[in-house]
Amino acid sequence: MASRLRPWLEERLPLADLLETLRHKTVPHHRYSGWYYFGGMTLFLFAMQVGTGALLLLYYRPSATEAYESVQFIVTRVPFGWLVRSIHAWSANLMVACAFAHLFSVLFLHAYRRPRELTWVSGVLLLLLTLAFGFTGYLLPWNEVSFFATRVGTDIAATVPVIGHGLVRFLRGGNDVSGATLTRLFGFHVAVLPAIATALVGLHLLLVQRHGMSVPPSVERNRAADPGVMRTIPFLPHFLLRDLFAWTAVLAMLAALSTFYPWELGTKADPFAAAPAGIRPEWYFLWAFEALKHMPSTLAGIDGEFVAVAAMGIMGIGAILLPFMARNTPGGRRLVVWTGIVMLLFMSAMTALALAGNTP
Amino acid sequence: MRGTVRIAVAAIALSVFPATVRAQTAVETAKSAFGEDVHAAAGLTCAACHVSSRGAGALPIPSRTAIAPLCATCHSDAAYMRRFDPQVRVDQFLQYQTSVHGKRMAADDERVATCTDCHGVHGIKRVNDARSPVAPLNVTTTCGRCHGDPARMKLFGREATPPGDWSASVHAAALIKRGDTSAPTCIACHGSHGATPPGVTSVANVCAQCHVREAELFRVSPKKEIFDALGEPECLTCHRNHRIEPPQDTWVGVQEGSVCVECHDESGDSGMTIRRVREELDGLSAALSNADAVLTRAERAGMLVDDGRTAFQEAREYRVQSRVLVHAFALAPLLKVTTEGTASARRAQQVGEAAMLELQTRRRGLALATLVILAFLGTLWLKIRRLPPPSSQQPTQRAM
Amino acid sequence: MTRAFRGSREIFRTARKNPQARKSIRWGRLFSAMPSLETRDRRNVLNWLLGLWGGGVLGAVFYPVARYLSPPDIPEAAAVSATAGSARALLPNSGRVVPFGSRPAIVVRTPAGELRAFSATCTHLDCTVQYRSDLQRIWCACHNGQYDLNGRNIAGPPPRPLETYDVNLKDDEIVITRRS
Repeated sequence: MASRLRPWLEERLPLADLLETLRHKTVPHHRYSGWYYFGGMTLFLFAMQVGTGALLLLYYRPSATEAYESVQFIVTRVPFGWLVRSIHAWSANLMVACAFAHLFSVLFLHAYRRPRELTWVSGVLLLLLTLAFGFTGYLLPWNEVSFFATRVGTDIAATVPVIGHGLVRFLRGGNDVSGATLTRLFGFHVAVLPAIATALVGLHLLLVQRHGMSVPPSVERNRAADPGVMRTIPFLPHFLLRDLFAWTAVLAMLAALSTFYPWELGTKADPFAAAPAGIRPEWYFLWAFEALKHMPSTLAGIDGEFVAVAAMGIMGIGAILLPFMARNTPGGRRLVVWTGIVMLLFMSAMTALALAGNTP
Repeated sequence: MRGTVRIAVAAIALSVFPATVRAQTAVETAKSAFGEDVHAAAGLTCAACHVSSRGAGALPIPSRTAIAPLCATCHSDAAYMRRFDPQVRVDQFLQYQTSVHGKRMAADDERVATCTDCHGVHGIKRVNDARSPVAPLNVTTTCGRCHGDPARMKLFGREATPPGDWSASVHAAALIKRGDTSAPTCIACHGSHGATPPGVTSVANVCAQCHVREAELFRVSPKKEIFDALGEPECLTCHRNHRIEPPQDTWVGVQEGSVCVECHDESGDSGMTIRRVREELDGLSAALSNADAVLTRAERAGMLVDDGRTAFQEAREYRVQSRVLVHAFALAPLLKVTTEGTASARRAQQVGEAAMLELQTRRRGLALATLVILAFLGTLWLKIRRLPPPSSQQPTQRAM
Repeated sequence: MTRAFRGSREIFRTARKNPQARKSIRWGRLFSAMPSLETRDRRNVLNWLLGLWGGGVLGAVFYPVARYLSPPDIPEAAAVSATAGSARALLPNSGRVVPFGSRPAIVVRTPAGELRAFSATCTHLDCTVQYRSDLQRIWCACHNGQYDLNGRNIAGPPPRPLETYDVNLKDDEIVITRRS
């Protein structure tokens, strides 16, 4: 019976072509190839988010009067609800970390070079989407910390010139953070952003398939002299089994984190209460938050906050357009590496400062 | 001769002139204060109270004994007062006459309080105006001006401790710290216009206005007859009067430091009942604190125990009820409540323990799942190692 | 890799024609080359173990998911509405205290027969109130606070009225809902 199933499927679906392509697919293996796993890991964590998110959707209620209680219900009354919720929260953080690691590894290994420019662009957009997922999802439990963090975060949008006020109203569904904000961000989080993300992930994976894995210039260079520097391994089964190994290990880690460090419920948001001391956004926004804090109130006559937001905007655009600006020469590549190191150091330093400053 | 006359005129002028200056300043002060007075708002002028047979311009100050009757000419006239407030009371003067202050004043003792001492003179505000000296938050300060002054009280052979004692009481804490204006001040128990210390037999009626349940229980308890026979002032025997402190469970008992031991000892049925009552109260408190401990532990470990907290609240209410039932001075009614309370506390504790157990179960489940995953990972690693080494002459997939 | 794969195809064809060889062939041999019998056995054991533990991992994932998907006994949080017992059993001029989320609520049937519901937490010092049929009022035993049948504080220490809830009937069951 099983032996008749395969020809039946093969006649109707392009299974044979797909499997054939995958069987021929190879992956380079060199001293830096460990970094290749971060892309797949980010994808795995995204799949975790979609899965746990869909499960949470079965019980969550996106209204200001019921959101907190529904999360409390999930965590206390639904069997394994505590696990699904904590995995969703931990996996979100891990996904952001992985996405950043993936971005920086691609940067330092120069995988953005021709012909992979569009892969890079779609990747940076995906990172921004991931941060947007994190921001919109953070409000959904409707607790004190997330309410005020959202208020502070959306306040920053007001510094954008011309459209600032309109942008804040668009994000908040009104002038202030309210139940309308919750419903709106919920819509973004479960419908709009996933749709865009699916399209972008599809494009990103298609392009990766098309172009295969990039080999860093240094490895290419040394290969001519010493072929042992690099070999290739088949995608099926070698690379995939290793991928599976990493994914399963991370799954175990998520389960352990959820058991020993369950995500807290917090206290229900009260829009009329005073903001508690030490409100801050999630760790992946801390660097921007801290940088804003250290800006002087005016810089050469211009509002300091505006300068900071503009600088971040320029950084973002620069990141997207990197492959078109960077020259594929040793000097050009060195410049990219140094820019990357400076960015990494800056973000780490700002994050460390923020954490140190806020430790009670 | 002319020098002497000049000196005499100067002396007379000097003695009269400052006096008239002083009088002018006092009038000015009074007039500006009167601008905020509730009587001014009602259209009255200085002449309404400063009645003079010498015509306009003279404002004689009424003598202290004349003040109350003067105020009463309007404030006891129902037909007149109706114009300003149809529901206002007009028996203040009658009450005053029954009070200790009123009786002494009628006997020409000017040292005691009269209307203006408490309500003010020229800037009189309504009683419910927060600026009035007789507003709930200000009353005890006003009474304390005399009753907290040792020198003044000594003249009457009294102590000046009550206002200070009251400030340390649970009622003062309710009023001042929590802003609970229903909390009793001096006038709640002593009366305002008819201010008199409550009699030994009637003070309990005063407490009973708020502490209804305790009073009801006391009245049907064996204690009532005994205290009446002994001339003991019911509530005050155990709770004292001005410095009423939050009662403790330790007050009940036959050991040193308790209140019961002032009359009782260990012997007999009463000693037995007292000991049992104390045991029950202590047992309930212990059950509550055990439940609280395990619930807090569960909450700190990240478990949510709302059902347990609800049961805990119930148990706390039973404890409040049990303390009220102490006033039945019998074991049976108390036992019913402490049994229910202990049951609720046990339920709360069970919820907490279940949460801690669930925590252990989760960790055991995690351990099992992790073992399975580790076994899988180990086998997978072996498999990976055993994969045939890829030959380096593999046709590479597309140009890199 | 291609050579190994061709080897697998050979194995399948052999297995179909040769029942004896079939015994030592398993599904998981898709990726195997043509090794010696010893290695083949070891690989079989390894694949079998992998399948076992892999199944365990999948079970460890799908068991919680399956349990999660089946609705719990209490289908929703009782934060916004709660049931308050039988309406028939609540006679005129009587009241009943019921749990509403984590706090008590009181359902009252007025002497006129109307159903009303309020928060049962006294606004003075948080004791639980009760209905007094002799007073026809809601009463707090702690300090003699009294509320009328509209929840308004009319005597004693309570500074504020009781929060009012909406009352609805589902067949004979009283359902009280918090007003937003």
